[in-house]
Amino acid sequence: MTAAAADVALKGRVGDPFSSAWRRRLPLLPALVYMIAITQLPFLVSIYYSFTNLKDKTQSLIPEPTRFIGIDNYKQIFSDPFFRQAVWTSLKMTVLAVLLSLLIGTLFALLLDRKFLGQGLIRTLLITPFLLMPVVAALIWKQQMFSSLFGILDKVLNFLGLNSVAFISSHPLGSIVTVLVWQWTPFMMLIILAGLQSQPGDIIEAANVDGASAVGIFRQLTLPHLRRYLELGALLGSIFIVQAFDAIDVMTGGGPGSTNVPYYVYQESIGGGFRYGSASAYAIVVVIFAIIIATFALRVLSSLFADEERA
Amino acid sequence: MHEGRNASGRRRVRVLAGVLVVMLVAGAWLAATAMGGSASKTISVAIVANGQMQDIASLTPSLFTAKSGIKVKYTILDEGKLREVTTRDVGSGGKSFDAVMIGPYEAPQFGTAGLLKDLTSQAKADKAYNYNDLIPAVRNALSVKGHMFASPFYGESSFLMYRKDILAKAGVTMPLHPTWQQVATIARKINTPSMAGICLRGKPGWGDFGASFTTVLNTFGGTWWSSTASGQPAAAQVDQPAFKTALDFYAKLVQDAGEKDAANSSYNECLTAYQAGKVAMWYDATVAAGFLEASNSPVKGKNGYAFAPVDKTKASGWLWTWALAIPKSSPDPGDAWKYIAWATGPQYLAAAGTRVKGGWAAIPPGTRISTYKIPQYKAAAKAFAGITLAAMKAAPITNPGTTKRPGLPGVQYVGIPQFQDVGNRCTQLFASVLSGSMKDTDALGQCQQIASQAIK
Repeated sequence: MTAAAADVALKGRVGDPFSSAWRRRLPLLPALVYMIAITQLPFLVSIYYSFTNLKDKTQSLIPEPTRFIGIDNYKQIFSDPFFRQAVWTSLKMTVLAVLLSLLIGTLFALLLDRKFLGQGLIRTLLITPFLLMPVVAALIWKQQMFSSLFGILDKVLNFLGLNSVAFISSHPLGSIVTVLVWQWTPFMMLIILAGLQSQPGDIIEAANVDGASAVGIFRQLTLPHLRRYLELGALLGSIFIVQAFDAIDVMTGGGPGSTNVPYYVYQESIGGGFRYGSASAYAIVVVIFAIIIATFALRVLSSLFADEERA
Repeated sequence: MHEGRNASGRRRVRVLAGVLVVMLVAGAWLAATAMGGSASKTISVAIVANGQMQDIASLTPSLFTAKSGIKVKYTILDEGKLREVTTRDVGSGGKSFDAVMIGPYEAPQFGTAGLLKDLTSQAKADKAYNYNDLIPAVRNALSVKGHMFASPFYGESSFLMYRKDILAKAGVTMPLHPTWQQVATIARKINTPSMAGICLRGKPGWGDFGASFTTVLNTFGGTWWSSTASGQPAAAQVDQPAFKTALDFYAKLVQDAGEKDAANSSYNECLTAYQAGKVAMWYDATVAAGFLEASNSPVKGKNGYAFAPVDKTKASGWLWTWALAIPKSSPDPGDAWKYIAWATGPQYLAAAGTRVKGGWAAIPPGTRISTYKIPQYKAAAKAFAGITLAAMKAAPITNPGTTKRPGLPGVQYVGIPQFQDVGNRCTQLFASVLSGSMKDTDALGQCQQIASQAIK
């Protein structure tokens, strides 16, 4: 068989379900159908709901029929000040948490990149926060650290002769960002550490021989090398932190300064509002924004791997 | 080469066989437990994480399961989460629970919407349950046109609890029917850094901060919504002066003489603070008195009780009952009723008195006339039983404020479905006012928007 003939046999005639190409795909079909059934169908249903005034049955004394209301739900989103607040909170929460955890993560990574006594133990301890369930982490912070009745921070403040601070109720955003940073620093640390360890040692050696200072080496060699890793950390971190929910639900249960977009959608739907129609519209707007951000993230990721291959 | 492949092939077969055996054993075990589960009957019940409910959960195996053979799987949640879960489950016809704990806000609404089983005929037919023994005010709060949709586990009004010793030391006396101005003056006078003057709920949630605050709002002449002649909500009234006066009064009192971190405190937190001697007065549910006078309470015998403080109305105490209902979607309504008849019947009250940690004073109060005839209870609850009953009777359930209210009757809530969400979101804003991170005018402006949008 010639190569061209083999190619034709492999591709088969277009649309022929019994061609060898289709026979090869056949075993994948159940997985594909399953995936479509559990991810895409609900999404389509959500799109349909977003054009209706669907509400929970408990939300009306006399059962109301669900009506098709066109784009009213979408119009409402852009005139809803609470949604704007939630977007703003999401933005602040994500940017603060990502930048701080990236900064602290880089410092820890630089520390772990050098050999010292007890390095293994310290590394394990530093990674631990990332292994905790988010709900548990939030509860620990809420009850054992921030609580003004029996929190450690309160005890420390009182010991120093300072007044108690109701951390969570006075500074909801700050408290939640603290927990998020605590949780996500290890993640950033691991990414940066991988970057540091892929840095060729001979260049540093050469710089040392040339008499470059430690700060100089860091600024002019290490940092440019880490740029890609920092970008990757920032993007992955943003993707995860923008959907923060656990910490908010456990610590404040929403409210000004702590309701972010996912929590707002939750409040609007199964979290108390039970207005499934408008909640679907919010969710769809969020998905559109998420797709835009994810596209950027994927582009950075693929360029990173392309660089690796070139190197 | 040939042999090597054979050997690895044999190894693969052995591994595969091993995996198969493990799967078979696991499958058989799962099947066995599943069958075991269906053989002995189990019902699922969602309840609130308050003291009396914790008590019944721990007494259920010995007092109920041992006799009936019905196992009870409890889901114990705090008030806000419980509401979320039950509303979701009942509304969507979910089958998670055979019985759920709700109150006079939910029972008539869910009942009217056809989501709950009507318990009236079963309750009347059950001699041991004794329908006519239920306190009428409580039974009516859970009924619509004579149909009872939930059976009360405990009933309560709200009143003011205070430390007699602390007030005496400060040389002040609390009238039996105080006004809010009197209470505020006393609270500010007795407030010290180590002991706050008064504990008021500030934790977001319509049933938490929202309940205490709405009774204050009512008596200050404010309201959430005005009403049309037919009882529909007409317009949001959060931007009215009376609402601002009530919120400012409440926030100022909490900031001047309230508990630490008020925006995180509700019934359970205030109870802990009061028992630990961190607050001198407490405005909350009458049911709390059972724990203050319980045999294991550090403040037993030190407390005075006064009716809910007022301003422009004659009475301001709320009426509430935590009650068990059966969702229409319950997989096992028959056993659910058996459980409810036991948990809310007179036998449990008699049995609990000698078994719960707090003794007779801590049994679920306010549901049955017969409870107040038990000699041991009368002795243990001397300090608060009378005023509890009087407060429940006085609760202005149909006319709580100075203007007509929309929806079904209610004191500390508005009997329309939208109130749950509006109350929750607005109390989040008001809690920020309590903690000083938001201005009252901003919070009221945003709340007015929420309340207006909800009834559109």
